[in-house]
Amino acid sequence: MRTRGRLHSVLDKAETGPIVEEREFDIEYIQKPIQALVKKYDVKWDKDLFLTDDDDLADRVYQAGYELALNTGVYCTSTKRRMVWTKAELDEVIATSPSSVIMGEGDDLAHIQARRPDEDSRVAVCGGAYGIPVPENLFVPVMLSYAQEPLLDFIDNCSLVSTYGRPIRAGSPWESVACWQEVDLSFAVVNRAGRPGLAIGCAENSPTHIGEISSNSIGGFRPSDWHHAALVSELKTNYDQLIKVAHFARTGSHIHTFANNIYGGYPGGADGMAVALVASLILLQATYFGCTVNPGPTHANLSCDTYPAMLPGIGVALQGLNRNTNLMTTAFARTWGGPGTKNILYEAGALALVGVTSGIALMEGVQSAVGVQTAHCTGLEARFTAQVTHAAEKLTRKEAVPIVKALTEKYQDAMAGGDKPIGKPFDQLYDVDKVVPLPEWQGIYDEVCQEFETEFGLKL
Amino acid sequence: MSNLEKIQKDFLDILLAGDTDKAVALAKETLDSGTAPTEFFEACIAPSLAEIGKRFETLDIFLPEMVTAAEVVQQVNDDVITPAVESSQSEGITSAGKVIMATVQGDLHDIGKNMVVLMLKVNGFEVIDLGTNVSPSEIVERAESESANIIGMSSLLTTCLPYMKDVFDYLEGKNTRDQYKVIMGGAATTPEFSEEMGANGYGHSAAEAVALCQKIMA
Repeated sequence: MRTRGRLHSVLDKAETGPIVEEREFDIEYIQKPIQALVKKYDVKWDKDLFLTDDDDLADRVYQAGYELALNTGVYCTSTKRRMVWTKAELDEVIATSPSSVIMGEGDDLAHIQARRPDEDSRVAVCGGAYGIPVPENLFVPVMLSYAQEPLLDFIDNCSLVSTYGRPIRAGSPWESVACWQEVDLSFAVVNRAGRPGLAIGCAENSPTHIGEISSNSIGGFRPSDWHHAALVSELKTNYDQLIKVAHFARTGSHIHTFANNIYGGYPGGADGMAVALVASLILLQATYFGCTVNPGPTHANLSCDTYPAMLPGIGVALQGLNRNTNLMTTAFARTWGGPGTKNILYEAGALALVGVTSGIALMEGVQSAVGVQTAHCTGLEARFTAQVTHAAEKLTRKEAVPIVKALTEKYQDAMAGGDKPIGKPFDQLYDVDKVVPLPEWQGIYDEVCQEFETEFGLKL
Repeated sequence: MSNLEKIQKDFLDILLAGDTDKAVALAKETLDSGTAPTEFFEACIAPSLAEIGKRFETLDIFLPEMVTAAEVVQQVNDDVITPAVESSQSEGITSAGKVIMATVQGDLHDIGKNMVVLMLKVNGFEVIDLGTNVSPSEIVERAESESANIIGMSSLLTTCLPYMKDVFDYLEGKNTRDQYKVIMGGAATTPEFSEEMGANGYGHSAAEAVALCQKIMA
């Protein structure tokens, strides 16, 4: 009943809120207030630090983000209206957000629990290809490379390049066809991995609502899987997302929500981005009332979230949220480097250290080479991310600072220009039939694991 | 350093500070001292905007600073340059080219496209921004009705790439492909896809899109 009432309230807001031009929303409700809030709450840190451990700063960032959420709300592009929440409504959203969830079915349950910064409790890990386009013939081996990894509590799917040889057009019947093919292939993967109840992040071929709501029905993806809804940057929703959420609410499906605030975009630099991240996660919960919430900011030019200057902004926003709410926050490694390179491991490791010590409940990744290179994804980088995640559980933010700094020094030059280290596609890094890493990729992984032990004292 | 070079340096600092009043005053003062409006545009405004574009490319400044600089320049144009051009009957500021920009059907992401639009505008292009989720037929029809030189398309989602192909099919079907240069960008696109579609260029960033359009119009 509570979910239905909240859903109706959200839909009402999309149809009764004040009408605003989108351009005005971007400037008057995003850009200008963020600039003012950064000054008002003195959001700044030592630029040489890649992870802060200042609780007072974290709380100020949280207050700034809360104020932005309260005064700006969410823009619905379908109705051109600004959806706004009262302080009492937002406070209720925060107070009633779930602090734990059990994903999956049978023997393959995954438990996610909200955490605080510097807490040494276990962090859940979701590994997957997160929408990276993959040819139909490689879907099963690629996803099996994740599902067979015991350290991964659940998985998130890749996208298909085509469906039955045809292009997948957003909003067309082919979207539904592709998502049903994703269902069939996903169940083949989890069954072959011997983990039939494993929760699956889905549907990754559903840019509109069509694929998601057709494949989340009888014989399709299950309510116990991990269904997605997103805010479009900055703080925008639309009927496609709201239709999905109406369906999820009725079917009792687990909802994972995320926002991709743009570093260098309307929020400005890492300080403004941190404020926007906090506002986004509060408003994700208010709009979609999901279980897990992800701030997955995007570099305006590189599209990754591991750019060194972004890391303290991500960390301090997560710390503010995890100190002041029970939200199950996540960190999501979207790396500039691709599989088959050391860069991807350094980048994913740095983000995991920032996220885990800042109190995330769930580590996600890796969206290799920022997710646009066909089939550039393997289970090995997800295994590595999980290993670093669990090693980081025993560290405080202060202890993680020098490690994060050392890691950024290893990969930052590759982001400064020149050729992008995209690595190699799956079939050049794994034996496709046996689904095991080939010696070259295994060797690079072993070498970086050894570096973590000898240089940082982290046994993976 | 010549006087105009010094003025350009001051004008750049004023733009970065977002001070509209000072920018208008400096433009007025410079024109009052005998500089032609077109000369002021070419020697002060254009290089300042180019420098701002360069700094945004490396994220030494961020989108808010660039938006503010564009707004200040707009005000300088409205208050000083345009009236001066009209009263002097001299040749106006010529457009660098006309560009139709759209995020293609099925995709509602617009920030990358908005950055390209802004960067093109500050570099002297006339831009018709069709927004997001734009059908292939609308893109082609607007290019025709606006007599555009360039069609720019963006997509963040791979499932929207077929709609980009449709734009080429529509142009071929209307026998108008040769009338336009078609460029593309956005996270879902790649140089390989651009080449496969027969596009006239691909840009990874807003700065690359500007350079591409300038090359096309040269």
